[in-house]
Amino acid sequence: MTVRPIEVAGGAVASSGTGIAPASSREAAFDKARRHSHLVRVLKFALPVAAIAIAAAFLGKSYMAAPSAIEIKSDDTAFSDGKLVMANPKLDGYTKDNQPYSMTARRAVQDASNQGVVELEGIDASLPLDKDNMAKVEAQRGVFDRDKNTLNLSQAITLTTTDGIVALFQSAFLNMGEGEMTTSEPVQIKLDGSTINSDSMNVLQNGKVFVFENKVRVTIEPQRYQTMRQDNGDL
Amino acid sequence: QTDGASRMSGLKLSGNLPIQIESDKLEVRQNDNIAIFTGNVNVVQGKTAMKAGKMTVHYANDGGSAATGSSNIERIEIDDKVFVKSETQTATGDRGTFDMKSEVLVLSGNEVVLSEGPNVLVGCKLTVQMGTGLAEVEGCKKGNQPGPGRVMMSLTPGSQNSN
Repeated sequence: MTVRPIEVAGGAVASSGTGIAPASSREAAFDKARRHSHLVRVLKFALPVAAIAIAAAFLGKSYMAAPSAIEIKSDDTAFSDGKLVMANPKLDGYTKDNQPYSMTARRAVQDASNQGVVELEGIDASLPLDKDNMAKVEAQRGVFDRDKNTLNLSQAITLTTTDGIVALFQSAFLNMGEGEMTTSEPVQIKLDGSTINSDSMNVLQNGKVFVFENKVRVTIEPQRYQTMRQDNGDL
Repeated sequence: QTDGASRMSGLKLSGNLPIQIESDKLEVRQNDNIAIFTGNVNVVQGKTAMKAGKMTVHYANDGGSAATGSSNIERIEIDDKVFVKSETQTATGDRGTFDMKSEVLVLSGNEVVLSEGPNVLVGCKLTVQMGTGLAEVEGCKKGNQPGPGRVMMSLTPGSQNSN
């Protein structure tokens, strides 16, 4: 009995049928559109400039214009060739069920034209798994997307949890907002006496569900097995 | 003829060897305290091995967490054609359960086979005490036939005194 994923067929609904307007109102509509697009062109240029100006205004020492849910503070910031470089930034945010998460890094680089994305180096994040279980994530490099509340870690990562898991990844995509993580590269998870290896893994529902796939290998050491039997009052 | 059950010993779990489990997929559900191995499940401990299509490990909800394996295994359910092999014996069935506390493995199905060399026992239920290795096959109840079902047993002459 193999479990097949259910494909949901997405149907596209086409809407059509617009009446043909009389000639005069067509010119009017055309003029209106032309003025509109002119306005849009102006705004398209003006807005980014304004945005940079506002961002520049905020640069200073501490506060960055960030959505209330995510706050970035850093020791000092430098602004060079359109890139904002922050030393020891500290980012705080909230998952969708309002659990706080925090992240520090050695360095963060943010392109002024794209405020939502921050490149991080030397990352140290702590993520809530559930009320009394936190995950600590350490990674060399990653890209944090503030708007989507996600962290894409492209290099080796170590994850440790308060209840004793030590997990090693080659890369991982964390969706802090949803409390999910996924990796399509080999994973090793260790806990006193048992080890799980697989070539891909998904963590869902804030660490409630772990799905390992592709060459899953689990080893349970004797002493782990022993304590199970002792606890069950055998020996 | 035996009383519908016959005994052999050989299937055993040794307490001091690591258990290795392989499968295509493993899903650990913390809230339900279960870990589900699916797809070519292969469990090996020393010379004892078990193969099945699916194996569900039930953890006791004693505060530990299924994902970390820190909580204790209560029982294991095995589905989709179970094959168990030890140094001297093999057993097959449609499904099985293994109770951690009593260390009793039960294989069931419409044709459960326990064989040791040329000796074969066929019935509907095999109960093995994995601590001692004592195995017992119970026959299949045909319709409303009274009493325990019949166990087909074939012993090859001269092999009785082999173990």
